[in-house]
Amino acid sequence: MQRFIAFVVRYKNYITLFALMVMSLSFMSVGNLRQLGGFRAVIVGSVGWIQSLFAWIPNPVALKSENTALRELNLQLAIESARSRQALVENAALRRMLELPKYTDYKLIAADVSGKTTTQLRNYATINKGTADGVREGMTCITDAGLVGRIIGASEHFAVIQLLLNRDTRVASKVQRSRIDGIVWWEGETTVALKNVPKSFDVQVGDVILTSNYSSIFPANIVVGRVTKVEDENQSLFRRVMVEPAVDFSTLEQVFVIDYVPDAERLRLERETEQRMKQRSADS
Amino acid sequence: MSIIFDPSQIERNPALRFVAYGVIAMVLSVLHVVFLRFISVSSVTPDLLLILTVWISLVEGQFVGMFAGFVSGLLFDIVSADVLGSNALAKTAAAFIAGYFWKEGFAMETLGSTKFLIVTAICGFAHNLIYFFFYVKPMQISFPMFFLTYGVATTLYTTVAAIFPMLIINRKKDW
Repeated sequence: MQRFIAFVVRYKNYITLFALMVMSLSFMSVGNLRQLGGFRAVIVGSVGWIQSLFAWIPNPVALKSENTALRELNLQLAIESARSRQALVENAALRRMLELPKYTDYKLIAADVSGKTTTQLRNYATINKGTADGVREGMTCITDAGLVGRIIGASEHFAVIQLLLNRDTRVASKVQRSRIDGIVWWEGETTVALKNVPKSFDVQVGDVILTSNYSSIFPANIVVGRVTKVEDENQSLFRRVMVEPAVDFSTLEQVFVIDYVPDAERLRLERETEQRMKQRSADS
Repeated sequence: MSIIFDPSQIERNPALRFVAYGVIAMVLSVLHVVFLRFISVSSVTPDLLLILTVWISLVEGQFVGMFAGFVSGLLFDIVSADVLGSNALAKTAAAFIAGYFWKEGFAMETLGSTKFLIVTAICGFAHNLIYFFFYVKPMQISFPMFFLTYGVATTLYTTVAAIFPMLIINRKKDW
């Protein structure tokens, strides 16, 4: 017994270390006992109460990191929000455009506008479809709203549209209600005018303007715009008819290319006739 | 005040000394949980109870130090809602190591010199090695990386905090 006591005294530190470690490990394994948990809940609750008493004291380090985290979160949310809004707008536009093929007999080629030049006198747009997709020079571009313009150049994967708002664009048109013909020209900014309408002809504000059957460039009955102003020009036989284009060119993102090229025979005949007339008037 | 509370009485009477250790441990535990967030650097805080444990081990010896480490660790586990026993285990081991630097009659010399900081750093390293081993065990993260990030940082911060008691003892120099 004495030897045992001497052993314990001699190695008391190691025995204590062992005993305390075993106790600690035991606590770690049984630390979730209900009674102990209840006791701890009281202690932690008390400490929490003390913490709440001093919660008003600002912690500059924590505030700074929280501020940084919130800024990052804010940025991410702003990006997400912008993406969502963009997706909603695109979704609505695409839904409307999906309806379009139902109302036309032409084959349509869908394309995205990948570039736009609207700062110069000649307005153009570039689309991401080219000859590889069946797009050819002379084809007409539309949206669900109406006429956009016509293709004036195409490469394998891209094509350039000469927009309605271009000083070189002329569209043979008609008033939908009264079937009166005229020619639509760009008047600068975002308005076009219906020219060659005599004063005696019936045109009213709100009338819808369509492409004419006489057009050798554009297919017939595509909406060009709506009449916004009708004025009688002084010292002129014609009326000044202002038309608001149906298409909003500032937000143009998707278009359809109509797989329609004007009849080459018709174009050739018209060109030959015009030349013949010119020749005849020159001879006389 | 000095009649009611005589510090020399505590120094002479071991029972009073142990009561004082207990009170300090409780105050430090609450202080740690409530106020140390104000001086935390990237969620790393100094371990005040470890400093106390090393202090007790250097003053009272290995045997008492281990009990002090165990009790203060358990107290902190309860107060901080940590895994019960994890701090007790780590602080017991730290106190065991600190006990090897105990030299009877030379406690104040040790506490008032850089030796105290070295012992605190060694004990802090061992303490955090054990503590963070059990801390990361249930998680799917690499222990070496976690220890290098938080264990070493906590050890350094604790060693820096130990400068203050060392300077206080060093200024007295009446041992």
